[in-house]
Amino acid sequence: MMVQTPILALFMADLLGLLLLIPAGLFALQVLRHWDPSSGRAQQLRLEKRTHLVAAILGLVLLTQILALPLFVHTVDRMALQIVGAMCAVGTLNANFWGLPALLLRIGLFFLAAAWLLMHRMDKLAPDYPLIRAKYGLVLLILPLAAVTAGVQLAFFLQLDPDVITSCCGSLFSQGSESVAAHMAGLPALPTMFALYGTIGLALAAAGVYLRWRRALVPFGILATLSFPVAIAAIVAFLSLYVYEHPLHHCPFCLLQPDYGRIGYALYLPLFGATAIGLGLALSAAFARRQSLRDVLAAAAPPLVITAAAGLTLFAALAAWITSQSNLILIGY
Amino acid sequence: MTARVELVGVRKIFNEGQPNAFRAIDGVDLSLPAGGVTVLAGPSGSGKTTLLTLIGCLARPTEGRVRLDGRDISGLPEPFLAALRRQTFGFVFQRFNLIRGLTVLENVMLPAYPLGTPHRALTRRAGALLQRLGVGHRAGAPVESLSGGEAQRTAIARALINDPTVLIADEPTANLDTALSLAFLEIVSGLRAEGRTLLLSSHDPLVREASVVDRVAELRDGRLVADRDTLAESAQ
Repeated sequence: MMVQTPILALFMADLLGLLLLIPAGLFALQVLRHWDPSSGRAQQLRLEKRTHLVAAILGLVLLTQILALPLFVHTVDRMALQIVGAMCAVGTLNANFWGLPALLLRIGLFFLAAAWLLMHRMDKLAPDYPLIRAKYGLVLLILPLAAVTAGVQLAFFLQLDPDVITSCCGSLFSQGSESVAAHMAGLPALPTMFALYGTIGLALAAAGVYLRWRRALVPFGILATLSFPVAIAAIVAFLSLYVYEHPLHHCPFCLLQPDYGRIGYALYLPLFGATAIGLGLALSAAFARRQSLRDVLAAAAPPLVITAAAGLTLFAALAAWITSQSNLILIGY
Repeated sequence: MTARVELVGVRKIFNEGQPNAFRAIDGVDLSLPAGGVTVLAGPSGSGKTTLLTLIGCLARPTEGRVRLDGRDISGLPEPFLAALRRQTFGFVFQRFNLIRGLTVLENVMLPAYPLGTPHRALTRRAGALLQRLGVGHRAGAPVESLSGGEAQRTAIARALINDPTVLIADEPTANLDTALSLAFLEIVSGLRAEGRTLLLSSHDPLVREASVVDRVAELRDGRLVADRDTLAESAQ
């Protein structure tokens, strides 16, 4: 294992997070089994009192898990300098079996944690705990995911050997390979472009419908969430090629390198933000059966929808700008 | 202006699960009519103050529900509870709990600050309340210099500053002589006429037997042992 401060920070964040998530998971089971707001039983009142403490702890843990994703990516990206054969984060992640699964799990945990925090925010704005069951149900999904993420990430760092030669991003995203990444790299540019702008366009249209008529919040959330995999596929399939001005360089991580103006941050930040908000809103609206939550959403959702729509617009605009400014001719040559 | 308070199977246990657990309130069911004066009577340690704090949302019950106009308030999340406490309940504490170092006027205005009322309007309202309760001339005095009766009136003015529908007073005449106690009952009568719901705890016979009182609920060892409708009795 390569002992470095960010690795220890990630390890400690996961360990301490799990130590707090496990009792929170047990509490979540109690809420799902015994929560009954019409009852005045001592157990119900205990749950009502404790949920504030448990939710505050969960908020802190999940915020840490959100911050752990950029730290993880930054760490593996920086470690590329120490791993033989690695050129960017992909090389480090490719150094053993656990690298890419750790990244994917971290991304999944990021979105679920962000969605939980948004649902919790909506729940807190209503007087009658309208999202309590959905919120704690989600905790029971987050807990095993956090445990698996911690385990896989630990296995990745433990087995990371600087003396083992790894392959660079070129081989992972080579169209001859059988990996998912290679399949994404092999996607045809024009249909992927249509898929990207089509999905974002539909999401923006749903945002417009919501802001005008206060309808279609769930479809907006679903479309904003769906924009993420489509956008990642687009980055790998064609956007990265335009940035690098190289027809075979599909790496989504090299975009973070200073050689390319760190343009990846400008793409990923609005994309991740918009997706997280979209997922949180979709889940909150899907469970909005009580009038109190509908009232909360009517007041609190519009600025969030505008923020998510702005994020998607920014991503789409940046993607269009990159395509138009690039010297690479990918379509119609 | 009026509000109906209802207690359903309310229990309050301090230090629950500990060897020194103490059952202060033990299964009280009580319904306070809107716009009347109810006195909680009973010996010292019977649970009167605890029950007042549960009704006034200063504490949460261990079991049971407190409802205001049919809506459960004992399970509200803290921010909602704070807003309700601020706008619905006025509380006059047994020892008045005036803030030393501040003037009478500043003490009265204090609970209204979180509501963001313009300062000038608030000062006018506080001054009017103090005038009405007969302590307007003491508005600029530090609270340390007040007599018992003046301190009590200041505490009542502070409890009324946010125009609450329910006024709760804990042993309001405990430190007052007969004349001041009667003056207090005059104030209660005026507030009742405005339609407010008043809840007083007292073991003072002068308060329990006052004509302004609609109802006397007697507590002993945390249980409700008697519930007299004095208004109906006097009508008979």
